[in-house]
Amino acid sequence: MLDRLDISLRANHVLFVILFTAAFVFGVMASMTGDRFYLRLATEALILSGLALSIDILLGFTGLLSLGQALFFGVGAYVSALVLREVPSFWLALGAASGASLVAGVVGGLIANRVRGVYFALITFGMAQIVAKIIYNTRSLGASDGLIGIPVVEIPLGFVTLSAGNPLEFFLVVLGGITLIYAGMSYVLSSPFGRVMIALKANEKRVPYLGYSTWAPRMVAYVLAAVIAGTVGGLYPMLRGFVSPELMFFSASGDALIMVIIGGSGTLVGAIWGAILLVAFKSVVGSWTEHHLIIVGLMFMAAVLFMKRGLIGLVKPMIERRLVRIEAAREMRKEGKAP
Amino acid sequence: MPDIMDYLQFILAPQMLNGLALGISVVLVALGLTIIFGLLDVINMSHGEFYAVGAFTALALSALGLNYWVLLALVPILLLPVGVLVERYLIRRVYDGGDRHVSTLLLTFGLALVIEDILKIIFGPNTHRPATPLPGATEILGVFIPTYRLALIGIGFVVIAAVALVVYRTRLGAMVRAASYDRNMAASLGVRVGWVYSGAYAFGIALAGLAGVLLAPIYSVFPTMGHDFILLAVTVVIVGGMGSIWGAVVAGISLTQVQAISALIISPVWGDAIIFGVMVVVLMFRPQGIFGRIGHA
Repeated sequence: MLDRLDISLRANHVLFVILFTAAFVFGVMASMTGDRFYLRLATEALILSGLALSIDILLGFTGLLSLGQALFFGVGAYVSALVLREVPSFWLALGAASGASLVAGVVGGLIANRVRGVYFALITFGMAQIVAKIIYNTRSLGASDGLIGIPVVEIPLGFVTLSAGNPLEFFLVVLGGITLIYAGMSYVLSSPFGRVMIALKANEKRVPYLGYSTWAPRMVAYVLAAVIAGTVGGLYPMLRGFVSPELMFFSASGDALIMVIIGGSGTLVGAIWGAILLVAFKSVVGSWTEHHLIIVGLMFMAAVLFMKRGLIGLVKPMIERRLVRIEAAREMRKEGKAP
Repeated sequence: MPDIMDYLQFILAPQMLNGLALGISVVLVALGLTIIFGLLDVINMSHGEFYAVGAFTALALSALGLNYWVLLALVPILLLPVGVLVERYLIRRVYDGGDRHVSTLLLTFGLALVIEDILKIIFGPNTHRPATPLPGATEILGVFIPTYRLALIGIGFVVIAAVALVVYRTRLGAMVRAASYDRNMAASLGVRVGWVYSGAYAFGIALAGLAGVLLAPIYSVFPTMGHDFILLAVTVVIVGGMGSIWGAVVAGISLTQVQAISALIISPVWGDAIIFGVMVVVLMFRPQGIFGRIGHA
């Protein structure tokens, strides 16, 4: 028998499969028409969707609002850039980015998880500001100019070697990475431990009554989110060839938060859809007016006021109802009362 | 010894006085923020944008020929109805839907984006530099200080004292503190809590607008002028204790002094990092800040 969370996660899977298929078709079509710009833009949207997804793990499932998630994205991006400038190895750079963000996540988690609610939001914000300012003022890290001249890397996948310089190949690598992250997080959330994480959002005071620690799942959620943000951050310099302190500024964290809220928090897949929509919207509207912020702001406010589940919330209930019906029919067949 | 005296007189003292002018301005912005948080439990992310709205309104009205000192009173009054409308029709809608802190923070964050772009549409992205209403400099102990900065410090102190007087010594202030302490009890004693909420939000916005008018002649006026300033104000509110008026005053003045004096010792670019470092440390060990909150202290 499936419970509500299973149904909800399965509905997410349906929406993710649609997204994956659409992205795949888009990638193939774009490369057939010889496009580079939109493929690069879509790759960036997917990379940012990883950052948005990490915010959703905290906000949508564990109930923690992080206003400084770009900190870990930036740590991943800088570490990856520094490694790539010395040794142009894809796996080494990505591993270093993940490792560094793991360490940063543990340190940040120990600091931020001392407090709750709005204080948690402000402390994450403060930490990101401090690190951004330090990098901004450190000459050996490129200061305000950032680091440039990051070489194009080869991506050995065992059976085939792709290149980050080829727009389609790198797009597919990032798409694969996001799929792995999505699948991994879905698995974690459906596990018993993941359910404790979700319970924290529902009612943190009750969780200890059931015999669970509240600190451990909160910490694990925070570190997982940090590692995801850092890992996708590690992909960023491979795409753009440079990193800059702006990656860590509040505007970056704020943009990712907008993606989550407009797409729909608490769904994982909503963050990814939100990232793609926001990047596409900024590129389309940005080409004929520079005043896209007002529309984004209004959409964001509308989502907070009227659509608690974001744009995903408009279609997800329908998919859930359908899944419930399919499941009920299967139960009936199993019991021999087949229609 | 004369070296040290010269240092004190010509370097440290002016630096501290400039720091005080900044501190007073930050306290003015932080006062509104702390009152709104203390009473409504709302982190007003759009506060910096209302500060910019105040500065731009003053700019537009002074182009119509209005006197600066009239604007100082007029702009906050113009912002009052805006604050009431925002509280009534936007913020109030998300009070009771789950986590109030998060939903109101997100809503005002969205509002900030909208206001910023509206300012860009009306006034363009460029920087404006209004004329100083009090040109010239005044000599104090052999150092020349711009007269307007001295006036700013004076006006700022008067406004802060007036706000504290209203909140702590009037019937209206007692109603505000009562509503903050126990909303239901205050309501049952005949306090119109709904109006107190709208009024407090509007009052906070008006203070931000006032700060905008006061600071426009010193710092330039541009649509994103609220960004940098609001970070400092948020830090002041946290360190002082969210909802505490005296906390905001003490934290605002001491933090800007730390920033001003540290700028003499190490490179001034590290000032921001130091300020945020203080904020994180305070949040870690004393999240309620140095002082309690409105009504609770």
